[in-house]
Amino acid sequence: MRPASVKSPPVTASTQPLSAPPAATDRPLPSPAAQPAAKPAASNPSETPTPTPETPTPPSAIIQLKGVTKVYSNGSYGLNQVNLAVKRGSFLFITGPSGSGKTTFLKLLYGAEQPTHGEVLIDGVPVNQLRGDRLARFRRRLGIVFQDYKLIPRRTVAENVAFALWAQGFSRSDIDRRLEPTLRMVGLANKADCFPEQLSGGEQQRVSLARAIVGTPPLLLADEPTGNLDPDNSLQVLKILRKLNSFGVTILVTTHDEQLVRLSNCPVIQIHRGRLSHLR
Amino acid sequence: MLEALTRLDYLLRETWLGLRRGGWMNWAAISTVTILLFLFGSGLQTSWHLEQLVNQFGNQLEVSVFLEPGVLADEIVPLVREMPEVANLEIISKEQAWETLITELGLSDIRGATAQLNGNPLVDELKVLARNPDTVPPLVDRLQSLPGVEAVQYLPEVLQRLRELNQGLNWVSLTITTLLTGSAIAVIMTTIRLIVLARNREIEIMQLVGATRAWIYLPFLFQGIAFGVAGAVIAWVLLGTFQQTLGNLLAGQPDFIRFLFSHGTGRVSLHTLPDFVLLPLILIGFGSVIGLTGSFFAVQRSVR
Repeated sequence: MRPASVKSPPVTASTQPLSAPPAATDRPLPSPAAQPAAKPAASNPSETPTPTPETPTPPSAIIQLKGVTKVYSNGSYGLNQVNLAVKRGSFLFITGPSGSGKTTFLKLLYGAEQPTHGEVLIDGVPVNQLRGDRLARFRRRLGIVFQDYKLIPRRTVAENVAFALWAQGFSRSDIDRRLEPTLRMVGLANKADCFPEQLSGGEQQRVSLARAIVGTPPLLLADEPTGNLDPDNSLQVLKILRKLNSFGVTILVTTHDEQLVRLSNCPVIQIHRGRLSHLR
Repeated sequence: MLEALTRLDYLLRETWLGLRRGGWMNWAAISTVTILLFLFGSGLQTSWHLEQLVNQFGNQLEVSVFLEPGVLADEIVPLVREMPEVANLEIISKEQAWETLITELGLSDIRGATAQLNGNPLVDELKVLARNPDTVPPLVDRLQSLPGVEAVQYLPEVLQRLRELNQGLNWVSLTITTLLTGSAIAVIMTTIRLIVLARNREIEIMQLVGATRAWIYLPFLFQGIAFGVAGAVIAWVLLGTFQQTLGNLLAGQPDFIRFLFSHGTGRVSLHTLPDFVLLPLILIGFGSVIGLTGSFFAVQRSVR
């Protein structure tokens, strides 16, 4: 993929904090009726990249990568000595051509892959050291959106969204309380009883998004959320992500959708040959 | 409290959902458990019946030694006590025996009866308890060779045979149970494994949204237990029906056959305590263990 516009010099081994207004993280998702006007939070791309300090994690950094290298089993490099710090409340795009390691990058963040070297810290927690149930409990603090939606075919929209809460051990009343505002937020309140096959691609992606945010995680990771969508639906997804960001949720989106990147004026990082470079 | 209820709510719901999705696969598992538990239950019941039948004739380990008239029990006792096969020894003096006999005959005047017969006609008796059934025949031989012993009586041979038959039956039933337990566990394991594979996508999503291993796999273990319990209940109902039918058939049979099947009480007992309470408990317990084992093996490979 050709970068949309290179406004800042490429950043190699390190990418210094991408500034964004800090915001409260663990507060519950307000209902759409009560929300303030959506405003892109990470709209200040004016910082200059400087090396990430190796000293204690600054409390404002929700994501920190320290000297992370990922070598695939075939010997090729997914990431090579990458340092990165992302501030709480940021909205960040990760771009790069297919096979450049965007998905691997996200998998490292939610513990589905282990780095060959280096350390991945989310909210100060070393993710690469977590296994089994500790990793499962850690994942409750993340929302993950997948390109292929990963919806359960034989469950309705409401059940698919509630599924995440059931899996985390929420009570029935808690689930009922959270479900409706979340569905309204993604514009699917009237489709709660539909099955995934009755929905369009865009709607299915919004269900996946609702499932990711219904637990009100402070960090949302979206892997190509608009990869299979037309421009209108992509824009709708982007709007929801912006709205979430305005509530203080840190958002990290991988995409090769130039249009999407152009539409938002958030910081953009490109992964190329295992290195991160700051495009905007 | 609320958390426990939430857990139970979730587990029961997911277990029920899993069973509904299992469809006909459930029947493969349940029917295998039913066949196993039906045969196991039949074996168990037959064994109980035979045991009770044998017990009706007295203790099979007890040997009665009658002494010659004029010989006192005290003279023989030290010799008998030395025998290694003897577990216990009880002396019944002829006076005691006479008193018991008189009472049993319904006579009130013991002196009159004694006088009529010119004294107590009975002899001293030793009740010797053998250590185990196998030592009874040699013990009897040794007791008979003692001086002053008139006669030795022990459990009739037919009852010994009945005991042996019971033992043989227990072995057959143990073998069948073991083999079928293996099959039942294998079938449950395969069934649950297929259900796990069919729900692979859900499990993957559950892992990604932060479900713990216990949360993911407990419903499958519950499903295995449900197979076991369902099989046990069906087997119990079948056993009850079978026994009822047998009872009806026996109603027109000669007394001896009815006696064999009814522990000598004269009627076919369907509602004795072990049959009515112990049997379903054993079946359900055994079924649950089989179900749990099968499902545990099924999910074991998935739990990492």
